[in-house]
Amino acid sequence: MLRFIPLFCLLFLGLKPPVRAQAPATAKVTVSGYLKDAANGEALVGASVVVKSLSVGATANEYGFYSLTLPQGTYTITYTFLGYEAQNVTLTLTENLTRSVRLGTQGLQTDEVVVTGKKPDENVKSTEMGTNRLDMKTVKLVPALLGEVDVIRSIQLLPGISTVGEGASGFNVRGGGVDQNLILLDEAPIYNASHLFGLFSTFNPDAVKDIKLVKGGIPAQYGGRLSSLLDVRMKEGNTQRLGVSGGVGLIMSRLAVEAPIVKDKGSFIVAGRRSYGDLFLKFVPDQKDNQAYFYDLSAKANYILGEKDRVYVSGYLGRDVFAFGKAFKNTLGNRTGTVRWNHVFSSKLFANATALVSKYDYGLGVPEGNQSFDWKSNIVNYSLKADFNYYRTPQSTLNFGAGAIYYTFLPGRVTPIAENSIFRTIALDEQQAVEYSAYMDNEQTFSPRLSAQYGLRLSMFDYLGGGTVYDYEGPNGRQKTPVNPRQYGSGQLIKRYPNLEPRASLRYVLNDNSSLKASYNRMVQYIHLVSNTTASSPLDVWTPSTNNIKPEHADQIAVGYFRNFRDNAYEASVEVFGKRMDNQIDYINGANTLLNKNLEAELLYGRGRAYGAEFYLKKNEGKLTGWVSYTLSRSERQINGINNNNWYVNKYDKTHYLSVVGIYSLSERWTVSGTFSYSTGIATTFPDSRYVYQGLVVPNVNGDVRNNYRVPAYHRLDLAATREGKIDPAKRWHSSWTFSVYNAYARRNAYSIYFRQNEDNPAKTEAVRLAVFGSVLPSVSYNFNF
Amino acid sequence: MRMNRILAFLLAVGLLPLTSCLDVVQVDIPEGKPLLAVEGAITDQPGPYYVTLTKTAPYFDEAELPRVTGAVLTLEDSEGRRETLKEVSPGRYATSTLQGKIGNQYVLTIRAEGEEYRAETEIRRTPEIDSIRAEYRAKSPTDGEGYYILYYGEELPGVGDYYQFKVYHNGQQLNQPGDLIVTNDEMVDGKYINGVELTEEEGAGGVLFKKGDKVRVEALSIPRDYFYFLNEMATQINNVGLFSTPPANVRTNVRNVQPGSEKAAVGYFAGHTLRTDSLVIE
Repeated sequence: MLRFIPLFCLLFLGLKPPVRAQAPATAKVTVSGYLKDAANGEALVGASVVVKSLSVGATANEYGFYSLTLPQGTYTITYTFLGYEAQNVTLTLTENLTRSVRLGTQGLQTDEVVVTGKKPDENVKSTEMGTNRLDMKTVKLVPALLGEVDVIRSIQLLPGISTVGEGASGFNVRGGGVDQNLILLDEAPIYNASHLFGLFSTFNPDAVKDIKLVKGGIPAQYGGRLSSLLDVRMKEGNTQRLGVSGGVGLIMSRLAVEAPIVKDKGSFIVAGRRSYGDLFLKFVPDQKDNQAYFYDLSAKANYILGEKDRVYVSGYLGRDVFAFGKAFKNTLGNRTGTVRWNHVFSSKLFANATALVSKYDYGLGVPEGNQSFDWKSNIVNYSLKADFNYYRTPQSTLNFGAGAIYYTFLPGRVTPIAENSIFRTIALDEQQAVEYSAYMDNEQTFSPRLSAQYGLRLSMFDYLGGGTVYDYEGPNGRQKTPVNPRQYGSGQLIKRYPNLEPRASLRYVLNDNSSLKASYNRMVQYIHLVSNTTASSPLDVWTPSTNNIKPEHADQIAVGYFRNFRDNAYEASVEVFGKRMDNQIDYINGANTLLNKNLEAELLYGRGRAYGAEFYLKKNEGKLTGWVSYTLSRSERQINGINNNNWYVNKYDKTHYLSVVGIYSLSERWTVSGTFSYSTGIATTFPDSRYVYQGLVVPNVNGDVRNNYRVPAYHRLDLAATREGKIDPAKRWHSSWTFSVYNAYARRNAYSIYFRQNEDNPAKTEAVRLAVFGSVLPSVSYNFNF
Repeated sequence: MRMNRILAFLLAVGLLPLTSCLDVVQVDIPEGKPLLAVEGAITDQPGPYYVTLTKTAPYFDEAELPRVTGAVLTLEDSEGRRETLKEVSPGRYATSTLQGKIGNQYVLTIRAEGEEYRAETEIRRTPEIDSIRAEYRAKSPTDGEGYYILYYGEELPGVGDYYQFKVYHNGQQLNQPGDLIVTNDEMVDGKYINGVELTEEEGAGGVLFKKGDKVRVEALSIPRDYFYFLNEMATQINNVGLFSTPPANVRTNVRNVQPGSEKAAVGYFAGHTLRTDSLVIE
């Protein structure tokens, strides 16, 4: 692989920006610094810095840092960010200068701060495509299930993003599986992003600052999953004063506290949530020993060590607990810890080093009696990485870095508890692996019309011992036979997979308000979620690539047309994508995916493909805001041993997927909103015949076909109204009530349809629909901050 | 089984009972072409052993399945004994001399409607039932009030044993889809099974077990592939919930051996042992 490196360097460093020829002799100086919110000190990610007279600019990175290199001279620099008052600063530049700027929000009616934002025309002007940002203010106004603002439910209103059903954990991006999304919380991967089996997501909206979903044109910095990157960043905490916010809803309560550690030097935020459905169980005599709740805690602190250094420490702990008297207990959750250190090497070179740990685990068991046991499974990763932004010229920014992730997997271990337990100890071999990566990419402006971001990621995965490793033999579609067992010592290399992942995106501006974009990316995925159920379950286990399970690859090409109307009041886009995937995992009929030491005997591998068109129209301004998104797509796979080796649609394939979101500001205090979703029903297999065995009716389908039918189309209307408390500038206390109605016309959307014999008359057979929400779900919640 | 209650509870905490619903819906599905359906077994108990041949019918068809008559069935064991079964009633075929034996393998050949099918099976080792007992339990978060039928007995050392249990209540088998109990020894290998519930408090027809009721339990040691067949069948006929398995055909051991024919069959011809015990609830 080393032979690529000279080429690599040539590609990035050898490219002379065309501008240099036009502006020779004058000495260059760099102005750099941080962009922050004036009220609370939060970094303004993606805010822009523009010198109009030169038509050059820069964008603040994830930490609010910007750097702009200009010829010596006097300039008016404009700092802008959506939802904030722009600031013009006139500077005479003779030497490198540090200039941090605080922007104030427009219309200061509340403390509620829109932190995520962008330039009004970023949609058209940036090289990003296949990227959606959601600002938390919008997310909070959209009707939410049981009044609980939910990041992951909200992104499902965007084009290209769907789910197999409400209550299903995870989401599907551009025809990819739920395990193909890299979900990062302050850079730490989250392995199961849901509470209560998928009803709510793990992210506390009060602690979230910025959500970005990238489904195409993924920059070289990110890798490890095929379909998308969901980058969730936590708030940093108010550097100016103590702030408290919280809410009380039907399901859970929330509280967040943020404050300066030392004013303008450092701050922290601690936010927690807990559900209290189980507290009602205490009043039911029958249920008083039962427990069912979840909680999560998000905490983050940052401190400015000096002009050039700042550190961030963040952590997350989420837990779901279910206990059924003394008969059964199940706990599960994620925990993460991230330490980051930003260092400004020079006004042009910004660096961030990250060390993090992330763990998802579950335990279930029966605490006492002759059937007592304790079952544990987990995935843990430790990761170190360094990322650099080098602002070479206003036309070129180089991003490069390297990292390593060390994984351990405990696929499952069962131990008996009581002396008289009928269970024995079963432990599957623990697995270990290391994933290495290095990348470099260049954001290059070739001309005011043409810009590109292109890069290369090198990744490598080492599957390490110990334990026993097998090969598997036998026909596809049936359980295979383990052969050729081999012993490996702990840490011994079993299999190595190196890969090159090129990425590129291109933007060509057609005129002031429209552009064409194109992108290509190759993604590689080394860890896989083994899930044989319609919706992934919390007991599903992650597995590394092994000597038998190969890394998944995806190649995606997308082209798009982006156009804004009426001075950016409306933005619109059409994107068309095509994706090819290999080494996709599927399962033989009746596969057993839990506690199976020969799991690989039940796996099948094949190809996948997905293609589609996404239409998006968004209204940003006025009393009525919102968007319409429509996706037309197809997602299929071909696996030898399934569906007679023919292509078949994935269960999450959705031909049509429509979302309409409207938010209307009625008055200073009242806002109403509504969302409507429509999608093709999920693909499933219906029987066409029956037989009887042991007196029980068994369904069967001729030809052993897969996913030959669709459950009925899904559609749903949700409504919400938010009433803000009286706005009294003299008081810091601010509160609001949100009333919402989920599934307003009480449609029984089919989550699944299954076939059974009638309970009273076994000769009669019937199709039964499971609707997760069979009626209207009204709710009310109260939110406050001060 | 207890697991059902646990699942019901887990759904409950997901607030599903407040709002979720199951209802019967109309679905248009085509009528599949008829396939041979086989059901039969050979055991280590004295014969005769029966094989029933029917044809699959459209899923929503309520009529009894059509019988396949006039077929020629032969059964051969690994000791070279071989016999042709007699059709004792339409579609029902019986042996007359062959005796099933632990450790033997069996091949059933079926010639029917111009096709030839083969099914292979074996009879595996079996543990003995120590006892079955009826235990009265008061109402608790996990249990309803009433009698529970419990199993006691050794499990044989060495992983790879598979079992089916059938419970009869006053002569009538508990035979709703949820009553199909199959299990393997993966988690309990070689341990003494000291009282595991084979039933909840409800017996056949959904009525409670009560004093004076007769209960009979059949314990079958079954081959691995047959375990998978029954387990897949249990999954498919109880396939409801958030984490249901995608519908798929249940495996079969009946293979078409007619050259050039692709006509499949369904069902299973199984070898198993049969141990029984019974009690009267006191």
